[in-house]
Amino acid sequence: MSGTVFNPNPTVFRSSSSSASSRKLLAAKKSLWINESQPSFDQSMEDDEEEAIDQDEIFDLIRNIYDPEHPNTLEELHVVSAPQIDIRENRVKVEFTPTVPHCGMSTLIGLSIRVRLIRSLPTRFKLDIVVKPGSHQSEHAVNKQLNDKERVAAALENPTLVKTVEDCLTGRA
Amino acid sequence: MDEELPYSLHNIAELGHEDRAWHIAWNPTKPLLASCSADKSVKLFTYNHDGEGKLNFILATSIPTGHIKTVRAVAWSPSGQTLATASFDSNIGVWEQELDDDGNPGEWECASLLEGHETECKSVAYSSTGTLLASCSRDKTVWVWEVQPDSDFECMGVLMEHTQDVKCVAWHPTEEILASGSYDDTIKLYVDDPQDDWYCCTTLTGHESTVWSLSWSPNGKYLASASDDKTVRIWRRVSEHAFKCVLVLEGHERSVYSVSWGVGKSDRENEASLGWIASAGGDGVVRVWDLSVIPSAKLVARLPAAHGVHDINSVVWCPRNGYEDLLATSGDDGMVKVWRIQEV
Repeated sequence: MSGTVFNPNPTVFRSSSSSASSRKLLAAKKSLWINESQPSFDQSMEDDEEEAIDQDEIFDLIRNIYDPEHPNTLEELHVVSAPQIDIRENRVKVEFTPTVPHCGMSTLIGLSIRVRLIRSLPTRFKLDIVVKPGSHQSEHAVNKQLNDKERVAAALENPTLVKTVEDCLTGRA
Repeated sequence: MDEELPYSLHNIAELGHEDRAWHIAWNPTKPLLASCSADKSVKLFTYNHDGEGKLNFILATSIPTGHIKTVRAVAWSPSGQTLATASFDSNIGVWEQELDDDGNPGEWECASLLEGHETECKSVAYSSTGTLLASCSRDKTVWVWEVQPDSDFECMGVLMEHTQDVKCVAWHPTEEILASGSYDDTIKLYVDDPQDDWYCCTTLTGHESTVWSLSWSPNGKYLASASDDKTVRIWRRVSEHAFKCVLVLEGHERSVYSVSWGVGKSDRENEASLGWIASAGGDGVVRVWDLSVIPSAKLVARLPAAHGVHDINSVVWCPRNGYEDLLATSGDDGMVKVWRIQEV
């Protein structure tokens, strides 16, 4: 870090790299989309559970989720960003901004974000996924559905919906 | 830290499923505890005292059910002979233990499959006499079935009063009054009009979000409700079909998924006591409140991290005489745990 006063806020990580700790997190969780060969299981992984996780690491996990309708990631469409992620003790709140106020894909996008985070984060985290206030005409209805644990569980037992979510997570249209 | 509370919860058993354990039900007549899970099975645990006064819980059987999705809720009939299951596959299963050739109880078999709901079933419950069975679903309906001989079921009514997903149903302990809680933030009560049909006689509003769970007081004069708004509300019956919210219990930091109203201390020295309410949810903490007639509630026990970092999906007091100090919980860790409440 240069500490120069002309650049007090470092730019957000370039899309091609991700923070080292989120890579460790992903490896530890053996999540679906990691193709690299099995990393050697390091006993200190257990200790990682208690390390603080920051906004950038969460952002790294969700930035490459694809929009269900366009060949672009949520980062590229400015649907998610690091400042819209709030972490407080063991609670993560992700705000996302649908591209249009009547966006019918909002619940699918929110669900994809949740699935990615459930698979990647240690289980101690409680997740709240909401649309950015004022960004959607059915804000309350979308938020309620996204945060109803039972509705989410039932949705993930629907094979068609699961396939659609997987396509968003992997970028296969 | 909290002030000293008079009671604490001691773990006496830890039992498990392969996946999230959603719901539990104590058999009202036999030493059996049923639990159901996202692993699509129902497990039955039996308990007995060993020679030294310790209570042992062991797995008696695991019923594969045949439901093709999560089993979300279980309920015993008042006789303890029949078990009902509610599944995300939209069906209600009714299970009985077949007798083998020597007349000994054998496998649990599906006596009946109740189809009709259009989407996931969330809850199922038998009335106090066992002649009626209620079920509810994301399809916004509550169904009332009459239990007939030979495991036959006749649909007595399809109640379409809620505007959203119905999360739970609970029968009054003595009368034929049914309560339902919903994603639409309300609680509805239904009775049977002899001339006509089942109908909704009351709607209770006040909760600011989904009502996840309902539990009637043992004396039948109060109803407790647990909500996504992090509170438990106590409603008092003021006339035949009218209820008033008399208390709001706060303290939970996330959604409250389950509430159970037990008889409380078995020595009836305190006439004003209405029993104990146990509540639990997304904050992983079990809270026990002593309710008295005023109406007032005092927190008497608090158990943090009952299932570690995981949500608690269900908390239920044991209804059997002599076991009123037992509490069972089920959580997202797949575990079913049994606790005994004891004076500190």
